[in-house]
Amino acid sequence: MNRDKRHLIEVRELYKCYWVGSVPYPALNGVDLRVQRGEFLVIAGRSGSGKSTLLNCLGALERPDSGQVRVCGEDLGAWDDDRRADFRLRHLGFVFQAYNLIRVLSARENVAYVCQLQGLHRGECMERADYWLEQVGIGYLGYRRPDQLSGGQQQRVAVARALATGPDIVLADEPTANVDSKTGRDLIHLMQDLNRRFGTTFLIASHDPAVIQAAGRLLRVEDGRIQGGGVTYRPPRPLGLVCPRPRRPLWERLRLKWREHRRRH
Amino acid sequence: MKTVVLWIGFRNLTGDPRRTLLTVSAIAVGLAALVFLWGFNDGLHRNMLGNFQSTLVGSLQIHRQGFFSNPELARHIEKDAPILAALKAAGVGRWTRRLETYTLVASDSATEGSFLIAMDPRTEPRVTRLGEKVTQGRFFRPGDEYVCVLGAASARNLGVGVGDSVVLVAYDRFGALTAEDFRLIGIVSGGGLGIDRGLVLTPLGAAQEMLDMQGRITDIPIWVPPERLETVTGQLRRALAGRDLEVLRWYDMFPVMHEWVTLHNAFLYLFLGIVLLIVLAGVVNTLLVSMLERIREFGIHLALGNRRLGLFVMVLSESLWLGLAGIAAGVLGGIGLVALTAHTGIDLSLLLGDTQRFYVDPLVRPHLDLRHLGQTLAAVLGITLAAGLYPAWRASRLSPVEALRHV
Ligand SMILES: Nc1ncnc2c1ncn2[C@@H]1O[C@H](COP(=O)(O)OP(=O)(O)O)[C@@H](O)[C@H]1O
Ligand SMILES: [Mg+2]
Repeated sequence: MNRDKRHLIEVRELYKCYWVGSVPYPALNGVDLRVQRGEFLVIAGRSGSGKSTLLNCLGALERPDSGQVRVCGEDLGAWDDDRRADFRLRHLGFVFQAYNLIRVLSARENVAYVCQLQGLHRGECMERADYWLEQVGIGYLGYRRPDQLSGGQQQRVAVARALATGPDIVLADEPTANVDSKTGRDLIHLMQDLNRRFGTTFLIASHDPAVIQAAGRLLRVEDGRIQGGGVTYRPPRPLGLVCPRPRRPLWERLRLKWREHRRRH
Repeated sequence: MKTVVLWIGFRNLTGDPRRTLLTVSAIAVGLAALVFLWGFNDGLHRNMLGNFQSTLVGSLQIHRQGFFSNPELARHIEKDAPILAALKAAGVGRWTRRLETYTLVASDSATEGSFLIAMDPRTEPRVTRLGEKVTQGRFFRPGDEYVCVLGAASARNLGVGVGDSVVLVAYDRFGALTAEDFRLIGIVSGGGLGIDRGLVLTPLGAAQEMLDMQGRITDIPIWVPPERLETVTGQLRRALAGRDLEVLRWYDMFPVMHEWVTLHNAFLYLFLGIVLLIVLAGVVNTLLVSMLERIREFGIHLALGNRRLGLFVMVLSESLWLGLAGIAAGVLGGIGLVALTAHTGIDLSLLLGDTQRFYVDPLVRPHLDLRHLGQTLAAVLGITLAAGLYPAWRASRLSPVEALRHV
């Protein structure tokens, strides 16, 4: 209820830095973003602009340094790893760049696995898997293992897996980067089609023109900030404010010190 | 955590069947070797202790309190009826009655201080197989009177042979010196079994008469199977409490044999430990390598919503399955080997020459003590699981994003 009134995703002033040794690299530099249920949103931008980091923050995979991330009405900010894992399992579907299936499991077992993690019975999960493999057009390949499938077919299995748990949002990071352009177009059209038929929200990070062309809404990310389609304009913060030094546990700090020491000598 | 991770852990092992097979066989071969060694060891001990007990001592003996450490006739058993009743209640049928004291054996040319063991010819074979050790002449029969059996070395020292007479000199029940003529009817020899010298055997009746012990005895040796020894001992001690009697197990009387077995077992435990360390190192190595090869895949598991504990259990379950498979194969192999060699026997005579000194027959028949089997299985399973702990912990600590970025 609550969910439908509000935006499905609400991001405010999101900052995230990576530290390489003692040098900070700001990856997200004050992102504001709202996404409504059912959108087919493409986040475009050059390599290194911060798309993956943004998607990972939205996907409860990465913790932002500061800012608010509300997804499905929940504030992911202070959650521990287990709550994040449960949230991903319940609300999110993921399609990664490539090679993202469990290699010892057949296509249908890969899809069924996430349902089984949700606690459904194996038989029911298998039925679901068959259904979703049918939906992505490779129902006849269910018994093949990933290494017996082409890249495009593997990505279809991944899409089926992302949808099989009935997620609110599917997050896809460069889903077409590892396949040829024809296969990539087919894939993005498949996702578009699923978005229309099932109403699932899609967030796709990509710099593939075919994907950008298919966007329901397009956002451009540059240097960790959303250009244009964002909500408000904010002048960039100075680096010191963007990148507070992370407070690491003592042993972690000692480990880093030791590493730095070893690198120097 | 969902149980599906156990299944996934199992499936992961099919990803590299060759490595899995190698690991399982390493565990299996190590375990089979251990099981066989235990079988050999336990069979040897069983044989050794069995021979020791059946030569003279029996499994248990009942005396008057203090008789074993100080065998005086004054410490005899007055009435044996309550003891026999207790034996019956404990389900013990194989017992005999003896009279034991110090004596001096004299021939025409020499004397020898000896221990006199007077036995009931009818019941003695229930407990010992002394009769089978006769090398010349014969053993006692019911109805024998003043006859005796000597060890081969004693007979040689005394210069007597079967048919000759010797004089036994001893103190009777009242402390009076008494002497009787005994005809030598048989000579026993047990190689190294300690019956060749210092021992003179007579029928019970004659000794009772000579020592003024009418109807009285000093000890009741008993035979029970090794697995019942402790329970029977407990039962008898309880039943006979307050009667001024001692119920002694063979190893209460002769602890050296027991310590020897314990020492042997200690060596085997040491060996077990070494084999386990080798298994541990091998399995840790395999699991760690295979874990490091799959970092990306663990990232997928975590990203899809597996909790850290789920991933930990998944990776740990891989070592569980490896351990169970290795144990199944190893136990089958080990028990098969024990059963086979138990059937054919292992001939040690070439290796050891005369083994009688150690109460060991040259043909060893392995026999597995189930307790040792259980301990070994538990240890191997435990060590395999322990080997999985570190890789499982490493996998569960991965950050999903970094793991996914891993190539
Ligand atoms: N783990 C990391 N450690 C250090 N720098 C990182 C890490 N991940 C990303 N970055 C940096 O953050 C910036 C944004 O990266 P990313 O979000 O992956 O961009 P995109 O997905 O748009 O290519 C880049 O400059 C990248 O080098
Ligand atoms: Mg990226």
